[in-house]
Amino acid sequence: MRLKLKWVFSLVLALSMQFSFAQERTVSGVVSDASGPIPGANVVVKGSRNGVQTDFDGKFSIKAKVGDVLVASFVGMQDVAVKVGISNTVNIKLQDGSVLEEVVVVGYGTQKRRDVNGAIAKIAGDRIKDIPVQSFDQALSGAASGVNVSQPNGVLGNQAVIRIRGVNSITLSSYPLIVIDGVPSWNGDNLNQNQAANNPLANINQADIESIEVLKDASSAAIYGSRAAAGVILITTKKGKAGKFTVNFDSSVSFTKPFNLIDVLDAQQFTDIKNEGLRNAGIPANGTTRGFYTMNDANGKLVDTNWYDLIYRTGVATNHSVSISGGNENTKYFLSAGQLEQEGMFVNNDFRRQTGRFTLDQKVTSWLTLGGTFNYTNSRNNGISTGSVAGSTFDSSGAARLAFAQAPNVGPFNNDGTYNLAPTQIGQGNNLTPLQWPNVKYILDNNKISNQNDHFISNFYVGLKLAKGLNFKSLYGIDNLLVENKDFLGPLNGNGQQFIGVATNTMNRYSRKSIQNILDYNVSLSENHNLSALVGSERQYSKIDAWGASRRGVSDPFFNEYQGGFNTIVVSGNLLTENYLESYFGRVNYDFNKKYFVSVNARRDGYSAFAPDNKWGNFWGGSLGWNLTEETFFKNIVSSDIVNQLKLRASYGVVGNNQGLNDFASSSFYDAGVNGSNTTLFYNRAGNDKLKWETSNKTDLGLNFGLFNDVITGELGYYKNDIDGLILNVPQAASAGIPGNSILANVGSMRNTGYEATLSAKILDKGSFKWNASFNITSQKNLVTALDANNSDIIVATQLENTNIIRVGQSIGNFYIVQTGGVNPANGRRIFFHGDGTAVQYDHSAPVATRWTKVSDGSVTRAANQALDAKVMGPALPTFFGGFNNTFAYKGFDLNVSVYFSGGNYVYNGTQAGLRDQRVWNNSVDVLNRWQNPGDVTDIPKIVFGDNVSNGSSMPISANLEKGDFMKVRNIALGYNLPKSLLDKMKLANFRFYLSAQNAFTFTNYSGFDPEISSNGNANGSPSVDRNSAPMARTFSFGFNLGL
Amino acid sequence: MKNLYLTLIAAILIVSCSDTEALNPVNQTRISDANAFATPQRIEQLVLGIYGGVKVGNFYGGRFFNYQDVRGPEFINERNNGVTNLFTWSFGVQSATNEVQNLWGAAYTAINRSNIVISGLETATVSAALKTRYLAEARFLRALSYYSLVTLYAKPYTQDNGASPGLPLRLLPETSSGNSNLVRSSVADIYNQVIDDLNFAELNLPLTNGLAINNTSRAHRNTAIALKTRVYLSMGKYPEVVTEGNKIVSATAPFTATSGVPNALASSIGTVFARATTAENVFSFAYSSNDTPGTQNSLVFYYNSTSNGGSEYSLAPTGIVSNTGWKTTDARRSFNVVTGGKTWVHKWTSPQADPDFVPVIRYSEVLLNLSEALVRSSNSLDARAIQLLNAVRGRSDATTVFTSASFTNVQALLDQIAIERRIELLGEGFSSPDIMRLKQNFPAKGLAPLVITTDTQYLWPIPLNELLYNKLAVQNPGH
Repeated sequence: MRLKLKWVFSLVLALSMQFSFAQERTVSGVVSDASGPIPGANVVVKGSRNGVQTDFDGKFSIKAKVGDVLVASFVGMQDVAVKVGISNTVNIKLQDGSVLEEVVVVGYGTQKRRDVNGAIAKIAGDRIKDIPVQSFDQALSGAASGVNVSQPNGVLGNQAVIRIRGVNSITLSSYPLIVIDGVPSWNGDNLNQNQAANNPLANINQADIESIEVLKDASSAAIYGSRAAAGVILITTKKGKAGKFTVNFDSSVSFTKPFNLIDVLDAQQFTDIKNEGLRNAGIPANGTTRGFYTMNDANGKLVDTNWYDLIYRTGVATNHSVSISGGNENTKYFLSAGQLEQEGMFVNNDFRRQTGRFTLDQKVTSWLTLGGTFNYTNSRNNGISTGSVAGSTFDSSGAARLAFAQAPNVGPFNNDGTYNLAPTQIGQGNNLTPLQWPNVKYILDNNKISNQNDHFISNFYVGLKLAKGLNFKSLYGIDNLLVENKDFLGPLNGNGQQFIGVATNTMNRYSRKSIQNILDYNVSLSENHNLSALVGSERQYSKIDAWGASRRGVSDPFFNEYQGGFNTIVVSGNLLTENYLESYFGRVNYDFNKKYFVSVNARRDGYSAFAPDNKWGNFWGGSLGWNLTEETFFKNIVSSDIVNQLKLRASYGVVGNNQGLNDFASSSFYDAGVNGSNTTLFYNRAGNDKLKWETSNKTDLGLNFGLFNDVITGELGYYKNDIDGLILNVPQAASAGIPGNSILANVGSMRNTGYEATLSAKILDKGSFKWNASFNITSQKNLVTALDANNSDIIVATQLENTNIIRVGQSIGNFYIVQTGGVNPANGRRIFFHGDGTAVQYDHSAPVATRWTKVSDGSVTRAANQALDAKVMGPALPTFFGGFNNTFAYKGFDLNVSVYFSGGNYVYNGTQAGLRDQRVWNNSVDVLNRWQNPGDVTDIPKIVFGDNVSNGSSMPISANLEKGDFMKVRNIALGYNLPKSLLDKMKLANFRFYLSAQNAFTFTNYSGFDPEISSNGNANGSPSVDRNSAPMARTFSFGFNLGL
Repeated sequence: MKNLYLTLIAAILIVSCSDTEALNPVNQTRISDANAFATPQRIEQLVLGIYGGVKVGNFYGGRFFNYQDVRGPEFINERNNGVTNLFTWSFGVQSATNEVQNLWGAAYTAINRSNIVISGLETATVSAALKTRYLAEARFLRALSYYSLVTLYAKPYTQDNGASPGLPLRLLPETSSGNSNLVRSSVADIYNQVIDDLNFAELNLPLTNGLAINNTSRAHRNTAIALKTRVYLSMGKYPEVVTEGNKIVSATAPFTATSGVPNALASSIGTVFARATTAENVFSFAYSSNDTPGTQNSLVFYYNSTSNGGSEYSLAPTGIVSNTGWKTTDARRSFNVVTGGKTWVHKWTSPQADPDFVPVIRYSEVLLNLSEALVRSSNSLDARAIQLLNAVRGRSDATTVFTSASFTNVQALLDQIAIERRIELLGEGFSSPDIMRLKQNFPAKGLAPLVITTDTQYLWPIPLNELLYNKLAVQNPGH
């Protein structure tokens, strides 16, 4: 003690030579929170440049005067200010930060929520960690306002549909830019090259994610310039923290199966209904050439096949991940590994993922920091033809449709155990009328479809401290994805039949490197003026190199691999393309006394795909913020006990879009081909030498508030995205013979507007019982304001069927549908309306020329058709969506209930057209309510065999349009944390068990499988179409989180 | 000082990254339009690329034949599948029906390829001889394309001497936007252009292409003449058919072409399909495992009932298959295979993945064109016409020999020639054009209706994707 005093004394002496005596002394103490000392916390003397960091034990010492204010701060904690008194010891206790104090990740940096003027949503990694999905995007539904994340269907690994503040492009991508630890990652539909869905976001282990930030407005996103029109999602992975050595182990097992399957006819019902159809068609079953007949199996039992049972199952999944993290002031590390094995609800649809991640940050000297991250993932998705991946909805081998369309009066096998097969479809059993669909059992057993990813995401950075507040960072990142697709389609039935068996292997190398150099300056010019500025540059090289082949004509049933015996080979999946993005950007943030905030972002981007004179684009965003609660006048009006935070914000900016654009979009090309055995060359692409960026003018107005000391916090916002220069495939008259009948040009414009509200409340905090709730809702309105010079409608197909339309004055992708008026009680015929309102009816049993008659007088008239009679109906896009998240805690128990809702839109239930189709397809049980006798009032027309018109198979009809409102209890999780006393005995930091149910309940009036549907995946112009897609899966899981 | 250096380095790193080369990448897999005509090899390939355009699945790769066949009385749709030409068969096509839009699009894409080559050749560095030959090939294929379109989308020339609206006649390359609007030229204008192109082709195509495969799969002089006999027949210009036919058919049996490629009937009908390059195969489109018409397009898919095919269309029992004069011993009956109680045409048998050639012009057609024209132009029981008929019949059925005594009048002979065409060319795309050029009705078959010459469905509609963007095009009446 004496020695120490002596040391202090001599120090004070030494100091006194420079400063006036006895004014300054060393104050020391410990910064801690509820769980103990905090290493690495900042302690500064307010209004000075004097600051230190706490050591491993949370200790600090700093020079201060009596009356100085020490401000302690730590990531995620509320700043605490303590006045220095006479005592030399100042212990500071930090508390969990309020929402406004949290640190959010922004483009090329971080900011405190309080200082953010832009619209940024933050989702903590913990919130999604245990949700039993394949990729983190699937867990984001309802998590944040302005961010609509929906699942297209229950096929394993299917990419979620993500829309940030509406649909922001028509031809290019409306999928946000995904940036993982600063490097834009590969994503998008182009990776779905076979029917096994491939979503590279599934290559990120959810347990490795620290936080997800969504940049929604121009102020926050403009720093990403040309790629920010559809918003930006920043993924920040976990890093080591000084001092806190932790081990986490997460493990779970899940069971998944489809729900809400639609009942279809059994064998006898099917036989009767189809024979009734033949009778009504005037060609009754005759026992010799026509008709449907049941059969018995070898045991004399009626063959009555429930195809659902052969196609769906209860899939079992296991997921384990382990991580170690820790470090000290100089070295921080994080190491993790993960292993996921997931069976989907479809038989033979399995996803397997192994991940390894290592992050290291090393302070080398006071001015030099080095660090980086290495992530490797191997994932494999074994899929089947489901018909539920975008672009495959009418696949005649699609298992989702075969499950309900195949005749139930035949079985998968013959009595001798062989497959029940006809040359191109299933064997017809006793039916005399041939069946149509292939034998799905043969397909499931023999076809193999898979993709395998080897995904390396890695970065290395050098950080230089150049001067106080002036830092330089150079980051080199790579994102290399190797995708191997392998298909084998069997020779006897299904898609492989026409090729007599085909094996297709393709290898796809997606490589990207990104080099970023950023200079960052932070300064408090005086106590009241805070300035931060950033300038930087970025180069990003991307290349896709894909090649493969298809071997056809399998020589022996034994072979089912590409390397086996086949008689022909053709190329498949070739692609070689590259692009380059060069960028210069900057940002200035200024605030006056944390009261008035100004920020400006700018970026200049050059992109290789655009025309030579239009490669460069300038983008910017600016924002203003006003923190009213710092104003004296406001404090005088409203007590800070009532309103503790109130900040108004406004931003405007212009960002661009090039996402999803072909790498050589502006160029004209001739392609090589083959004529017999000769090579050819032909004009195959008309370019446009004026092609340039799509631009999005984004306005954001909002306010953030905290009431009653943050018991209630929230955010209200308004947004408007005015998008100009949309790149459209401008249609050309077909007789011009231009390849694809269209040329890209910047011609369209579109607007998205809406309001957002987020409200969070600590509803109850009474002793051991806690209830926190968070609710968010977003409205969205889309308006297409211009298309090409003629404002030509763009009709958008769901593979083979034109379902949607993009028309000026309408919301994008509204339905384009022929109006129907129920079933005529007099004769059982479906009533359609011509464009002029004339009611007409259809009778499939009449001669072709007289099938269409007027309802009024029975006179023959023309067929109803889409081109002449369809009307635009909608909206197809939800007009509102949101989430409601409740967390209850009682002693060691925690219960989380997440609700996702969406509505205001319609869904085109095209699946229903198939379920009621009167060809040899099986039907849903609702056809039992068919019209039979004059006077019957029903919505199911008279059954006429072969009728593919009355129920919507030949054109979309309004009878199949339904409201799409739903509310879904997306996840319920009940957890139990072992008490601290027990943990201490076991030497554990935490141990939590949980049970969870994903997609627990759905509330809707929609009659199909599920109103949360997108048969067209992330396609911009054809949302809310349900066409032969799989239902959703419900998953129950049990797991634990263990921490050391 | 250290900080100053570091700052300097940082600043340099930020600004020193411009990479102009990467901003202007060269596509490694496609040829830029700037140098597509740069070498003689490329020009040769561009000419072959026009063939590639005509022979796609939506055009001569299979679907076009199927459209022309199933409108006629010979086939029954077995699949009730809208994707595989159900609406064509049942006369229910609309302007947005796939086949209506796809055929138009494919043919005009091929026409544009022809026009691009014709225009590009003007400045191309290739010998004058090759230039005229290439021009002739391009114009031959353009003629074939326009002729094919005009038989479906416009009124037959014979109804009103071509006065009705025909097609937008595009003779210049289209590579940029802004030229969508173009009126439909009259049917006569289209035919005149077709004849003009074929006359040019006749004058400038080589007499022979050497190898048999090249004589079958690339146009030579006799190819252009043979096509002219078909075109003039469609126009009802019978003396012209005779003139053209006489250029490539000898005066007396055995009938052969006496100059150019020595086209003649093969000794057996069994040898003229698959990948035949016999003297009879005046013009075929060649395919290989690397060059297929695509899924649900090929002829084997439509007609064949084995696992190589799709069993899409069987022979209507009421069609030509019921003709009693078509003897069971006739070699052409061997193509009619019965499976599942139905009869199927098995002229095409190879797998879709490695398909047969598509025979566009066979010499037997030329003989029948000439035979019919001789009768019609002379309005008599022309002896040579009967010999030509016998040449085709006798090749497959030696037991039937027609004489002038076989026919009570001229019409009886014409009827027999028509029957011979239906037998000989069954499944080869002649059914609809033969009915239309003779102003006949389409008979009902199965559930498909009778369609008379004044019915809307007698013609295909102009496709919707033409009408929407070509504001000067008018729809056919009724559609």
